[in-house]
Amino acid sequence: MADPKVSPVEALSPASRAWGEIGPRSDKPHWGMVVDQERCIGCWSCAIICKSENDVPLGMWWNRILTEGDGLDQPEDVRGVGLEMAWLPLACQHCENAPCVKVCPVGATYHRSDGLVMQDTDRCIGCRYCMIACPYGVRNFNWGVPSRPTPHETGMVQARPLGTVEKCTMCVQRLAEDQVPSCVWSCPAGARIFGDLNDAGGRVATLIREREGYELLEEAGTKPSVRYLPPRRRTPL
Amino acid sequence: MSAVTSPAAGRPSLASRAAVRHGRAPLVAWLALLLALMGIGAAAFVYQFSTGLIVTGMRNTVMWGQYILFFMFFVGLSAGGLIVASAGRLFGVKAFKPITRLAVLEATVAVILAATFILPDLGRPERILNIVLNPNPTSPMIWDITIVMVYLAMSAFYVWLYARADLARRGSWLALGTGTSPRTMAREERVKSAMAWIALPAAVMLHTITAWIFGLQISRGFWYTSIMAPMFIASALVSGLGLVILIALVLRRLGRVHFQNDLVAMLGGLLAVFIAVEAFLLMAEYLTALYPGAPEAAAAGRMLSGPYMPLFIAEVVGGLALPFLLLAIRPLRRDPRWVGVAAAIAIVGIFVHRLNLILNGLSYPNIELPPGLPVGVAQAGPSFLQSHWYVPTIVEWAIVVGVLAFGALLFTIAAWYLPMQEPDAH
Ligand code: SF4
Ligand code: SF4
Repeated sequence: MADPKVSPVEALSPASRAWGEIGPRSDKPHWGMVVDQERCIGCWSCAIICKSENDVPLGMWWNRILTEGDGLDQPEDVRGVGLEMAWLPLACQHCENAPCVKVCPVGATYHRSDGLVMQDTDRCIGCRYCMIACPYGVRNFNWGVPSRPTPHETGMVQARPLGTVEKCTMCVQRLAEDQVPSCVWSCPAGARIFGDLNDAGGRVATLIREREGYELLEEAGTKPSVRYLPPRRRTPL
Repeated sequence: MSAVTSPAAGRPSLASRAAVRHGRAPLVAWLALLLALMGIGAAAFVYQFSTGLIVTGMRNTVMWGQYILFFMFFVGLSAGGLIVASAGRLFGVKAFKPITRLAVLEATVAVILAATFILPDLGRPERILNIVLNPNPTSPMIWDITIVMVYLAMSAFYVWLYARADLARRGSWLALGTGTSPRTMAREERVKSAMAWIALPAAVMLHTITAWIFGLQISRGFWYTSIMAPMFIASALVSGLGLVILIALVLRRLGRVHFQNDLVAMLGGLLAVFIAVEAFLLMAEYLTALYPGAPEAAAAGRMLSGPYMPLFIAEVVGGLALPFLLLAIRPLRRDPRWVGVAAAIAIVGIFVHRLNLILNGLSYPNIELPPGLPVGVAQAGPSFLQSHWYVPTIVEWAIVVGVLAFGALLFTIAAWYLPMQEPDAH
């Protein structure tokens, strides 16, 4: 899976290409992402470009934007603070201790040496045990023949077949071209930062350190490669 | 098959008497019905295979449903039946002898059905060999499939072992060349005892590992508890013994086995004990989950007051309290009909218990924030769901009924062809 059909960056202007370059990394990178909840404006741009880049069928989302609180895009009434609003963009966390990898009976979901969790849809038997095991609910199953708004495959990767599980790949097809994932490239608020977690002085590691980046569902012990920077704003809307 | 249509040759006289009394027409009609149901199930499976699991009620939000439910239910029926049979032999409970064979047969057929139920649950059943080609040793599903296969081979051998001498006496090739000389018979007794030693732990392991498929998943708060394995064993004992009681009563009706009502009362008493153990574990589980009042208890709390409350009441009141009371009242326990009723209710109760595990374990995602999980299919309704009320579709029912009919067919043929009772037991 995820063999690029065409080079996804060939069509880009030099400026776009420069904007998407991954940048410095250590000798042995462990790719990771920081999602800045302070900056996220809940616009779903990253969710939409993900669908287009990866040809995600109708009804499925590899990446979606949750609203903290009880209602979609509704401010939360935090006691003692007043109304607050924050979003939680959610996709595969590429866990280091990934429950999905542990339970897959046939090894169809596995780790790459750079820390990413991959999905081999040619091997997957569609048992959905990985969906049971994933604490974040980011996996999608092809319940029916995947349907898309147009008959043309618009994505930059192979479409996945009926009866198999798919999920975020961190746009491996773009990483191969030294480009950050689409969601990072497209975020209008700059709320997503991609980089090497092993690079102690790098941007990702520094942000996690300085902004007290947290792991989602830390208690599950999954050691995600995606970290969240909590919103700092504590003034009423 | 030919044995079904010519039941006379070498059959113990009681069987032919039954055949004469009842005539062969009901049997033929029964088998025809089962074959028809199997045909419907097979057609439904072909339809599901070509269209995808979209024809089921499952979605990203509740990704396991009826097939897995029946899988674990039948694993339980099998393990329970074999535990009762082999424990009876192991601890020298002579009274169990008349039902040992049918319990072993029940266990074998049930585990075959359990294995069959895995197939329609897969999105790509044609790739099932990947399990053998690329097994992942850390997957509880691989552990479980391994033990299911070992157990299946073992229980099939067990069935054969019990039938061997009679088959040899009848001159059937199924005796595989073994005879009935005193030496062979003595050896058979030793092998039977040895088998009981293997079968009991194997049956316990079978259901323990099945429990681990669920109980080891930290992602599912309702499942992630060490009591899962003991509770699965208790559920297996209740449902397995319940089914053995029912089958024994039916086969006695048909004249295939003979035993006194004392045995029924004794089994009923044992069933009451098993029900009490199940209730005890359930109570321990819920109290531990609920007492801290922490958000982690949300799943258990939903059972007590949420949308699944009726199912919880059905499980506890209908499935545990009611049969326990029926069995605890002495005059009722001495009446095989009431024991049968209690056994049937208890089996349904265990089924509801397992249904609750699936429904409540899965229908609410871990991160409940809006808009929730993508459903996974293009549909007119909402694309995202924060909770999901799973209802199996007609296709799922057709497949399940087809598999059940397959099991009934296997059992009927085996119970008709193989002697169901040890010659010395009556
Ligand atoms: S977030 Fe879920 S799918 Fe992604 S690696 Fe972790 S467990 Fe696997
Ligand atoms: S659905 Fe596919 S990837 Fe997921 S556990 Fe089963 S075989 Fe592995």
